[in-house]
Amino acid sequence: MVNSLLHVFRNNAFGRETFMQSLYFCKALDFTLRVYIPRHSKFLMYFENEVTQVDLDQSYLSDPDTAQEHVEALAKEAGVSVDFLTPKDFTASTLPDVPIGFDCMCSPRSMSDKTSRIGLGYVGPKVRRIAAAAPFPVLVTSLCYKPWNSVAVFFGGSANAFKALSMGLSLSRRSGMPLDLFTIEEGDVNRETLDNLLQVREMTSVVEEGVREWYFLNKSKLEDNLYEIPPDALTVLGAYGHGMIREALFGSKLEVIQSQIINNMMIVGPKCRVF
Amino acid sequence: MTPKNIAGMAKRLFFLRHEKVALLLAGVLVGCCSGVAAAGLSFAIEHLWELCAHAKHYWWVFVLPGVGAALSSLFLNKIVREGAGHGVPEIIYAVSRRGGLLRFRSSFSRLVSSCLTIGSGGSAGPEAPVVMSGSAIGSNIAQRLGFPARHRITLVGCGAAAAIASIFNAPIAGIVFTLEVVLGEWTAVNVIPIGVASVAGTQVGRLLMGNSIRFSHTHFSPGTWDIAAAFGLALATALISVALSRMIRSSGKVWGKLPASKMSRAFVGGACVGLVGLFFPQVLGEGYNQIYSLIHGQYSPGLMLLCAILGLKMLVTATTLGSGGSGGIFAPGLVVGSFTGVAYFRLLSLMFDVTPLAPEGCYALLGMAGIMGGMLQAPLTGLFLVVDITSGYEVILPLIVVSLVSSSVCRYFESDSFYLKDLKAEGGLIRPGTDERVLEDLQVSEVLEHNLIPLNNHMTLADLVGQVKSSQRNHFPVLDVKTSEFLGMIDLAKVRPYLFNRELYGTVLVVDIMDHFPPAVSPDERLTDVLELMDRIQAFSLPVISGKRFLGMVSKGTLLDHYRRELIVQTTY
Repeated sequence: MVNSLLHVFRNNAFGRETFMQSLYFCKALDFTLRVYIPRHSKFLMYFENEVTQVDLDQSYLSDPDTAQEHVEALAKEAGVSVDFLTPKDFTASTLPDVPIGFDCMCSPRSMSDKTSRIGLGYVGPKVRRIAAAAPFPVLVTSLCYKPWNSVAVFFGGSANAFKALSMGLSLSRRSGMPLDLFTIEEGDVNRETLDNLLQVREMTSVVEEGVREWYFLNKSKLEDNLYEIPPDALTVLGAYGHGMIREALFGSKLEVIQSQIINNMMIVGPKCRVF
Repeated sequence: MTPKNIAGMAKRLFFLRHEKVALLLAGVLVGCCSGVAAAGLSFAIEHLWELCAHAKHYWWVFVLPGVGAALSSLFLNKIVREGAGHGVPEIIYAVSRRGGLLRFRSSFSRLVSSCLTIGSGGSAGPEAPVVMSGSAIGSNIAQRLGFPARHRITLVGCGAAAAIASIFNAPIAGIVFTLEVVLGEWTAVNVIPIGVASVAGTQVGRLLMGNSIRFSHTHFSPGTWDIAAAFGLALATALISVALSRMIRSSGKVWGKLPASKMSRAFVGGACVGLVGLFFPQVLGEGYNQIYSLIHGQYSPGLMLLCAILGLKMLVTATTLGSGGSGGIFAPGLVVGSFTGVAYFRLLSLMFDVTPLAPEGCYALLGMAGIMGGMLQAPLTGLFLVVDITSGYEVILPLIVVSLVSSSVCRYFESDSFYLKDLKAEGGLIRPGTDERVLEDLQVSEVLEHNLIPLNNHMTLADLVGQVKSSQRNHFPVLDVKTSEFLGMIDLAKVRPYLFNRELYGTVLVVDIMDHFPPAVSPDERLTDVLELMDRIQAFSLPVISGKRFLGMVSKGTLLDHYRRELIVQTTY
C-alpha cells in the first residue's frame, strides 16, 4: 500500500524549508506527496468527531501563481512526484474542505501565525487541534531544513507512548534508519515496569529486534535530559493522550520537549493510526 | 479530566447507557440552550433597535444600518473568521455531507452579527442565525458527549427545531421546519428527540420572553369563496417568492463585484437601506410591527403605496443580505407575504364585491404562508408556522391551498428552494435514502483492491505470460523500475492476440503493448463520480492513481459489495 503525506504549501522562504522536509520524508519512507496550495485564507478539516478550521497566515497566499512552479521545481530536484490537491467540497464559497484521508501531515509549528512569531516553545493552536483529532500523525518540522538520520522515540509506557513506539518502529523499518528509545525515569517508570508492559503487549521481541539502543534518562529536570537526544534524529512522541485537567495540573511533556529541542518531531495523537 | 470523561461518568451514573434515552436527554439540553440563544438574540435586537430609535431625529440616522452591517461584517470576517452566509445552507451541508459536524464558533457568531445588522435597521430576520446557532450548539454538545454521526445529526435537528420554536413560540413549526427543510427525512428516531427539544426550547423561550403568541389571535371565518380566492393569491405569492429569491441571489453577485472590502460593501449597502428607510421606515428591521397592523386590518396606506412598500421591502432585503449584512429570510419573507396578501385582497376589492370574503387580515396570513411555502419549497413549514404564530387554525383550509399551490408553482420556476439551490449546484446536497447518500459514506480507499501483480518497464511479454498464470486479475499495472511511478496498464482483454504468439515473447516489452493513458481516478474522488465514469466508458474497473503512484484498482464488483453493506447499516438504523 502506498502511503501519502499532506503538505499545505507556504509560498515563501520559510515554506520552502518546511516543504523540503516533506520531500525528504517522502523520499525516505516512499510516501506519495499531496500538496495543497491554498487559494483561500482558511480551510476546514472534518475529522470523525470534530471539525477544525485552520485560519492561515496571509503568507500562505502570497504569489499563488508561482507556488505551483516552486513546488514542482523543488520536487523535481528531490526526485519526488507530487500530486496537487484540489478541494472538491466547500462548506462556504470561501471555505474549502481539505480531505483527511492521508497517512501523515507535515506542518510548521504554526499555520495561523506570522513566521516572525514561530519559534521554539511555540506550537500553534490549530496544529495542536489537528494532532489531537487527526487519524494521522503530524510531522512538525524544524525551523529550517534538517535531514534526519535516525528515529528517536520517547517512551514512557502510556497507551499513546505505545502508539508512538509502533510508529517509530514503522518509520525505522521503512526508512532503514536506526531507532533509539528514550525513557525519562520518574515514579514507577523504569526498565522493569516497561519490560513488563512490553511483555503484556507481546512486543518484547519486536523491540529487541527493532531498537538500536534504549536510553534511560534520570536527571531530575526533564529539560536536562533532552541534551542526550541526537540532533539529527526524527523524534516521535505521543501527545494529547491525557485530559485537559490533568495537563493543566501536571503539565505536558510535549510542551517541555518542543520548547527545548530543534529536531523534527512527529506528534502521534490519541486518534492516530500507525502506518 | 476531559468533557468526554465527564460525559462517560454521567452516562454510567444516570443509566444513560441506553442510547435513545441519552439522545432524549441530550435533546432537552440542546433545546434549552437553543431557547436561551433565541431569547438572548431577541432581547439584544429589541434593545439595539430601541437605542437606535433615539437617533431617528438626526439627519445622519440613515448611516446606522450601514454602521451595523459594517460591524457585523467586521465581526464575521475578521474576528470570528466565519465564511459568510445566513447559515441554513451550511447546516444542511453539514447534515447531508459531514455527519452534522459544525464549528463551535458558529454557535455564537451569527447571533452577534445578525443582532448588529437587524438591530441597527437592516432588513433581515433573526431566525436563520438563531437556527444556525442552535444547530451548532446541538452539534458541539454531540461532539463533546461523543455521540455517533447519526445521533449528532439528530441533535443538530434538535437545535434547529428548538431555535425556531423558541423565537416564534411555535413548537410545531420548529419540528416541521427541521424535518422538512434541514433533515429532509421523517423517521421516528428523529421525530421524538426533535419534538422534545422543540418543547424544551419553546418553554425556555416562554419563561424568558413570556408566553405570548407572536401576532395575537384575530378570529377569521374563511368560506368557500376564500378558498377559491386562495388559488389566485397562491399564484401571486409564488411569483413574488421567485422574484425575492432571485433578487437576493443576484444582489449578492452584484455587490460582490464592487471593488471594495467586504466591510465597506456592507456599510454602503446598509446606508442605502437607511436612505430608503428615511422615507419608508416600514421597510427597516425585521418588520413584525407591519405584520401585526396588516393582520389586524389597521394598515391605512392605499393599494399603490402598499405595492410600493412591498417592492421596497424586497429591494432592501436583497440589499441588506447581498451587500454582506447578516440575517435570514424568514422575517422579511413573512413581511413580504403579509403585504402581498393584503395587496391582493385590495386588488380584488377593486374588481369584485368582496363582502363574502374574510377580512383583509386573513389574506395577510395566507400571503405569509404562500411566500414561506414558495421560497422554502416546504409547504408544511409555511403552513404550520403561520398557524403557530397566529393561532389561526380556523384559516387552515385556504392556508393549505396557498401553501401547496405556491410551493408547486415555485418549483416550476425554480428547481430548488432558496436554501438548496446553490448547495445542490455545488454538489453539497445529499438527501437521506438516496443512492448518493449510501455512496457518500464510502471512500475510494475503502474499496481499493490491492491483489494486483505489478509489472515493470523492463519486463517482456514472456514475463507477462508468466505472471498471468499466477494472477486472478485481468489487469496489470506497469511501474517504472527505478522510481515506481505508474506508467500504464495492461488489460488482458486488449493484449490477448499477443499472448498466443510465442515469437513475440522475447522481443516485445510490456511497455510496448500497455495502455499508456488509461482512464484513472484519484483517491479522493467521490464514488458517485467514479461510477459515472465507469458507466460512461463502459469499464468494470479503474486504476487509482495519486500523483504518479499506483494505489490499486477500484471495481464495480467490490463497490457493490460495500454498497450493500453500507445500505444495510443505513437502513437498519
